Amino acid sequence: MNVIEINQLTKNYGKARGITDITFNVEEGEIFGFIGPNGAGKSTTIRTLLSLIYPTSGNAKIFGMDSVKYAPKIKKQIGYLPSEVFYYDNMKVMDLLKYSASFYKKDCSKRIKELAEIMDLDLTKKMDDLSLGNKKKVGIVQGLLHEPKLLILDEPTSGLDPLMQQKFFELLEIENKKGATILFSSHILSEVQKLCNRVAIIKEGKLVTVEKISTLQENNYKKFKIDTQSTVGEDDFNMTGVTNLEVKGHIVSFLFKGNINLVLKKIAEMDITNIWIEEPDLEEIFLHYYEKEA
Amino acid sequence: MNIFMHELRAYRKSTIIWTISLIMIVLLFMSFYSSFAKDAAEFTKIMEGYPEAIRNLLGVNLGNLFTILGFYSFLLTFITLCGAIQAMNLGTSIVSKEVREKTADFLLTKPVTRTAVMTAKLLAAFISLVITNIFYLAAASIIIFQVKTGDFSFKLFIMLSLTMFFVQLLFLAVGIFISVILSKIKSVLTVSLATVFAFYFLGMFSTTGEEAKRYLSPFKYFDTAYILENSGYEATFLVAGAVIIILSIAASYYVYVKKDIHSV
Repeated sequence: MNVIEINQLTKNYGKARGITDITFNVEEGEIFGFIGPNGAGKSTTIRTLLSLIYPTSGNAKIFGMDSVKYAPKIKKQIGYLPSEVFYYDNMKVMDLLKYSASFYKKDCSKRIKELAEIMDLDLTKKMDDLSLGNKKKVGIVQGLLHEPKLLILDEPTSGLDPLMQQKFFELLEIENKKGATILFSSHILSEVQKLCNRVAIIKEGKLVTVEKISTLQENNYKKFKIDTQSTVGEDDFNMTGVTNLEVKGHIVSFLFKGNINLVLKKIAEMDITNIWIEEPDLEEIFLHYYEKEA
Repeated sequence: MNIFMHELRAYRKSTIIWTISLIMIVLLFMSFYSSFAKDAAEFTKIMEGYPEAIRNLLGVNLGNLFTILGFYSFLLTFITLCGAIQAMNLGTSIVSKEVREKTADFLLTKPVTRTAVMTAKLLAAFISLVITNIFYLAAASIIIFQVKTGDFSFKLFIMLSLTMFFVQLLFLAVGIFISVILSKIKSVLTVSLATVFAFYFLGMFSTTGEEAKRYLSPFKYFDTAYILENSGYEATFLVAGAVIIILSIAASYYVYVKKDIHSV
């Protein structure tokens, strides 16, 4: 079953770029990554899903219901963590969380304490006195306290130290095991790589691809790096499947996709002193996607 | 209900400050009344020296200035001006503060309709004004009974005082409308002071000339001299006020429900 169905979603902001014709689905129980550089349209898509802004055309369905028409009903089951967390400054953390809980008509006080403990958050402080990282923690607790079925996280890790980030990811994995679907937007690929099952890549307001993380990585891409004594011309590796070719002195590096024998034969003809063949990380594949499109 | 209580709590401090300030103004002015009434004759002479136009601008009506209600009417002009600023502040900040403090993302991703959010906020602002007026009326009544030199109609006193409440409702409605129309208000005070004073001066200069000009400024919808004479409000202005309030609020709902909430 699809928890989120986005169908030809378009949002224009006058002259400024919004998003064009975005279509993808997020299945129940998935941790879905939504990646792209800043300004690509991640937040626009997410804000449209939450009906903070309204689509110019196209639509989105969450839990099978139209995201605009049934917004209040849908939001009962959504936990949202914005990229920048801002709350009522003169409230205490506990009061803010209670206020947040009061919208969901269930007792969340036990859950608040639990989450605050995991995230190491002081509930008695005033919002105003919190550091950026601590505000983010309040945001996390606020997004999780009503045990939503769908978590929408917009660049959730900014401002969290690595230790907290780790705890946060563990928390997300627990929620996911309990059945929560997670939409996770980010421009940091390594964190998506660790956590997500599938990713959608967005660029300049348009969807580039939706892939399984494993396919993205496996896709027969290998990262080659060769140290050679013989001089290498740009043309020597001019064969299908070779991308991101770089020749720096006697170091040659490139990404290869295709029949690995072909490239190995080529290398065998050369006088090499060292060779590295690695799985490329997502970042490199990602850049590759971008260059291909550009 | 939770939004309503939250909003009411958010306005609590400013409501208390405004209420106390209004009461202080009445206390200050009314404490002059007895000595002022004693020297009525001399004062009248001085005022007669002023051209009538100036007297009108100041809102001085020599016919009744030295009765306690006449004197109260005169100071009510300033009270109403302050009350209008309070109401306009409330109205303007209702929606704009969520945008300025960037808390709209929090509130509008909760399972509530925007209509419900608006209604709760509107109601909280309305109740804040009602509370202000109840305390003001109580305090002003006590003060006026303390300083009175003769009998006066308490009913007329209440009727006069209520005009502030009506003017406040008008500015509350206008304020809300402005706050949903403008995408971002950096300073509520700038917008509200500018609007209130614009209407105030418009009102001052519309005292001379045609009756129709009075419709331009909410401050002129309630003519204290008319109320004192007729023990009633002018129906056409009551209707005009009600129409403005209803239209502004309806338009505010309409815009707010359709509006995109942008990040930062």
